[in-house]
Amino acid sequence: MNTVDEILDYAIEQEQQAADFYAELALRAEKAGMKQVLLDFADEEMSHKKRLLAVKNGKHELTPEEEVLDLKISDYLVEVDATDDISYQDALIIAMKRERAAYELYTDMAANIPDSHLKEVITGLAKEEAKHKLFFESEYDDRVLMDN
Amino acid sequence: MSLKDLLSPFFVWQRAFEKPWTNMRPIEERPGAPAYRGFHINLADSCIGCGSCHTICQNEAIDMVPVEEFSGRPGDSGLRPRFDYGRCCWCALCVDICTANSLHMSNEYTWLARDPTDYHFTAGVEEKPWQDSELGYHRAEGYHLYPPKRIDMDMLTADESVQSFDEVVNGYSEEQAKLEADRCVECGICVATCPAHMDVPDYIRSIRDGDFETGLQLMYRTNPFPATCGRICTHRCEEVCPVGITGQPIAIRWLKRFIVDQVDSIDYARILDSEIIENGHKVAVIGAGPGGLSAAYYLRKKGYSVTVYESQETGGGMLRYGVPSYRLPDDALDKDIDYIISVGVDIRYNTIIGKDVMFEDLLGEYDAIFLSTGLSVPSSMRINGEDHPRVLSGLQVLADVARGKDPGIGRKVAVIGGGNVAMDAARVSRRLGADVDILYRRRISEMPADPEEIKESQEEKCNLVEKAIPVEIMDTGSKKQVTIKWGEAEMVQDPKGGRPRPVLQEDRMHTETYDCIISAIGQGSNLDFITPAVQEQLAIEWGKFTPGEYQRSELEKIFVGGDVANRTADAISAIEDGHHAARGIDRFLKPGAYAEN
Repeated sequence: MNTVDEILDYAIEQEQQAADFYAELALRAEKAGMKQVLLDFADEEMSHKKRLLAVKNGKHELTPEEEVLDLKISDYLVEVDATDDISYQDALIIAMKRERAAYELYTDMAANIPDSHLKEVITGLAKEEAKHKLFFESEYDDRVLMDN
Repeated sequence: MSLKDLLSPFFVWQRAFEKPWTNMRPIEERPGAPAYRGFHINLADSCIGCGSCHTICQNEAIDMVPVEEFSGRPGDSGLRPRFDYGRCCWCALCVDICTANSLHMSNEYTWLARDPTDYHFTAGVEEKPWQDSELGYHRAEGYHLYPPKRIDMDMLTADESVQSFDEVVNGYSEEQAKLEADRCVECGICVATCPAHMDVPDYIRSIRDGDFETGLQLMYRTNPFPATCGRICTHRCEEVCPVGITGQPIAIRWLKRFIVDQVDSIDYARILDSEIIENGHKVAVIGAGPGGLSAAYYLRKKGYSVTVYESQETGGGMLRYGVPSYRLPDDALDKDIDYIISVGVDIRYNTIIGKDVMFEDLLGEYDAIFLSTGLSVPSSMRINGEDHPRVLSGLQVLADVARGKDPGIGRKVAVIGGGNVAMDAARVSRRLGADVDILYRRRISEMPADPEEIKESQEEKCNLVEKAIPVEIMDTGSKKQVTIKWGEAEMVQDPKGGRPRPVLQEDRMHTETYDCIISAIGQGSNLDFITPAVQEQLAIEWGKFTPGEYQRSELEKIFVGGDVANRTADAISAIEDGHHAARGIDRFLKPGAYAEN
């Protein structure tokens, strides 16, 4: 990936894959109400994809300089499996960890790219992922850690 | 008649051309004395429309009228006093009784108007020149027509209470209860705030009258768990009690308990008129917690044949297995449940839906179903090492203690969480002889537990560690101990608003070894007993139902309530859900009876 378009295409593809992942999991989900939650997650990923498409088309700008709050909730949670009987809590853990992995990937990429323009774009993508992580971590804080 | 008398009317006319002998207005405006009882001033924003001024006014010069801008404010009737100055005698009793201390009098006393109806006005709402007057009659500081302080409740000291599971609160004597009841101004703001809309002023009056049987009847109209709620209700009524604005709120919960404690359960059937006329319909209730049994009771009173399915060996749900006996003794809970059973509610214990009885069979067999299965599944921390055998669930510890089993917690315990389950698990641990640390991610002021639970746990020497985030559980090599690693948190403002969020400070980690760790970070529902085909037709969000009118689900036969269907997750809300659903089921099964509505 040597151009901005290539990097953005990669990021857009990742968001699509995430949306497909949640949609597929929704089909399998057995617990009451989980289908809708997972479909909502898929919609959230599609909104991320839409945002990146807007960036690619010059209608939206990334904000690499923006400071994003890191609640560090997912950093200390165990890995969970995307089973058919997945719970709300585990669905959120999967979502948080996926966003965290994407954030770390882009952060590492940015650190190893000498081209300053590309570095800025990739850092912007990392910040986008940090915002997505914050979204899911806030959900987890509000819905799972109610008494904690 | 003399000639002078005959002519005198004509001479009167000469007076018409003389200078008047009277003044149109006083030559000098004489201000009223500084504490003069002049026209009323009401600080309408501080007023909560309790109507005490209206009640005390001997001349019936005050009406309470609705004012749009105050409608719907919590703890506010939305009414404001409207004065009739044709009736007012300026005695200032209304000022003296004002619970919010919002009503005063100015020292203004002249007001000219041609239309007599102008002298009716809503103080503080209609603009008047004296509204901002600082002079005039104000109630003297510290002066109250009723005692501002509540009658102290006799309780075990913290040192005494941790020695046993005996009830901490001893209850009022009759003399104390009557004195406390005397403080009530009967405004009824509490009625609107109570989820079950209990008739608080009237049952408090029954204490003053010494007529406890009437008090019991009034309570059972909307709540078949008065002995329970008289002990552990979240008492939102007291939070809005206007007497609490300038003093301490009426001890409504303790007065409720007092009434129940005065009546022997043997007399319940006679007092509460248990005659039931069967209507031929059958309803199933799933879950014998407060929501399920409340629905069962009111349905039975309406003549339904009610069968309650309960997975545990006895009824009460979280009241039985989640609230320790020092707050709610079994005999108080049993007093409520035994009466519900006595009216003909059939409870099938140890029966698991989906295993012993199929949900789809219930759908076919009964005319309606009420689901109130609560939140029985403890949330997991999902941190490394959590499956360590010395990590226990708060719900399990409380259930073990309720069943008389030793939960085996050891002598040094960490409780994780800040809700009522965490507080109860901590206080139970103290009673079992353990030293207790409570680790909570946020600040004490943000704990979701009842404030009095937090206060009492601290008094019982539970060590509350705020802003502590568990990150890992570690094995010590001993089967009897476990180590927890936790980090300090900083509270950071959420950029999107809302409450501040705790952020782990990775450079400030701590480790501590305990005999056990009790996890009490929250609970979720288990709805696996509902067949998938039915689940898909029900609106379920994050494990909770979202009921419509009269607690009805998307399926016309199924009604839902209690913790699994409301956000407050307290007993009184579950009780009201059950009562509400009973009315809804009655409307559903007997539509003809409500046709005129």
